[in-house]
Amino acid sequence: MTARSQRILFWALVWFCILILSVPTIIVVGASFTTANMISFPPEGFTLKWYEKIALARDLQQAFIRSLIVSTVCLIVSVPVGTLAGLALSRFKLRFANAIQIYLLLPFTVPLIGSGIGMMLIFGEWRVLGSLWPVGVALAVINLPFIIWSVSSSAGALDGDLELAASSCGAGRFETFWFVTVPGVMPGIITGGLLMFVLAMSEFLVSLLLTDARTVTLPVQIYNNIRSIITPDLAAVSSVFVVIALLAVWLLDRLVGLEIFLKSK
Amino acid sequence: MPEIPSKDDPRTTFRYPLRWRIMDALNNGLDRFWPARMSPYTGWALIMPALLLVGLLVLGLFEMAESSLHTLDRATFLPSEAYTLENYQTVIESATYGRVVTRSVFAAGLTVFFTLLLALPYAYIMVRTTSSVVRKTLLVVLFLPFFIGQVVRAYGLLIILGTTGVANNALGLVGIEPIRLLFNFPAVVFGLVQYMLPFAVLMLAPALTAIPRETETAASSLGANWLQSFRHVVIPMAKPGLIGAGLVVGTLALTDFAMPAMLGGGSQDFIANAIYDQFFRTADQGLGAALALLLVVLGSVIVGVVISIFGAGTLGMGGKK
Repeated sequence: MTARSQRILFWALVWFCILILSVPTIIVVGASFTTANMISFPPEGFTLKWYEKIALARDLQQAFIRSLIVSTVCLIVSVPVGTLAGLALSRFKLRFANAIQIYLLLPFTVPLIGSGIGMMLIFGEWRVLGSLWPVGVALAVINLPFIIWSVSSSAGALDGDLELAASSCGAGRFETFWFVTVPGVMPGIITGGLLMFVLAMSEFLVSLLLTDARTVTLPVQIYNNIRSIITPDLAAVSSVFVVIALLAVWLLDRLVGLEIFLKSK
Repeated sequence: MPEIPSKDDPRTTFRYPLRWRIMDALNNGLDRFWPARMSPYTGWALIMPALLLVGLLVLGLFEMAESSLHTLDRATFLPSEAYTLENYQTVIESATYGRVVTRSVFAAGLTVFFTLLLALPYAYIMVRTTSSVVRKTLLVVLFLPFFIGQVVRAYGLLIILGTTGVANNALGLVGIEPIRLLFNFPAVVFGLVQYMLPFAVLMLAPALTAIPRETETAASSLGANWLQSFRHVVIPMAKPGLIGAGLVVGTLALTDFAMPAMLGGGSQDFIANAIYDQFFRTADQGLGAALALLLVVLGSVIVGVVISIFGAGTLGMGGKK
């Protein structure tokens, strides 16, 4: 159906995209197995010693645990808040709905450096800077539109008559919400929650602004180490993120199917 | 005389399940604290937590605005008491910041152009391919970097572009001397394009899905070659997606920190890096806050102008009503 020249041109561009998107990842994972003390590619020999080294490194372990805590806080905050907001936007007629949408898109339109520094000043004033939970809350703020989006689009696909049917069968308002609405938008909640968790796990700039030497999370730790010296153990740490990303993609595909992102509204 | 129920009567053996009790309690609680007559405001009650959470960000902006009105007293290293616009004047008059702003805007423009150029065919092939394996593969290739995070991706690019890196080794095979590929402007733009590609494709794909295949068939049956049907059918119909993707890519690139910091090696600072330095190197909080606010304004103006000319594209939330 498509012309030959179009196929060749488009596929050439697509292959270029595939190359620039995946080669860095492959290189990082490959470099983590090198026996040399400096990063080299193709890797010399094969060894797992760098993984042994990072498994024993206390600072990296702690940074990893902190990242997990931060992402969990982000998840706990963002899932209820985002779900309710997504439902409100798609199921209720709100006055000033347009203004609310613009307001709720602020986390995306305000530059991350601006939101990060603003929240740093606020948390500093509240004297909570230096604990981990504010980082999780801040990450929930900056990524909130993601979960609102995914919940509201799956609420848009839910038939409103189902809720009416439930209440005419005698379900109370809470039962209707809990047994009809929430399961109905569950794909959106799961997708949004997964996005929030993984994006919080790998988020860098806001974490850099809100953490100090005692509370660095893993991405910040990697950044700090890169600035001093590039060694293969860093490639091994980075491979941890590759594994997390693989898991997330696999889960997302199993739970809702990646193709859902191709659907038009 | 009332009938005494027998032992087998379901009315006596039936126990009200715990789950029902909980549900009843919750329903009653809801009726008490949020009676049905409040239902016109239910939407507001549901959206309130989100409004408050984002309010944290707004509060931060106000805090920053306040802070930007105090200059740093070089003698005591404390912010001055008096309110002044001096910081803004410093920023506007400074040639250094002028250069940094020009560089950021120029880089963002280039990034939007190259990213859309690559993302459009990618999204098009992904949407139109008949093979589900190809589609899945393209999706996985897209999502992996999206989840891996910026630092690790920049680290991968550092390894590739380094003087002893893969790219130079490959050039060496064809007899070209190692060249410095890192710590210059093209490296930063390349890093940004690589970083933005997944965002752009994911914003474009739904817009392309919405274009029925038949419109293109119709165009070609009327004698249009593929370039013409692309130019006159696909691109106009995909415009909301292109605008949405362009806006997201442009603002993210304009305000990026990590790519200029890591691939630019300190010589290619963007506005975000300048702000960071003011806060954490020179500790001039007021000047940094002024810069950050000007960046917010710059970003909003660009977004506002684009939206008022072309519409919000696919950026609207709320889905189908």
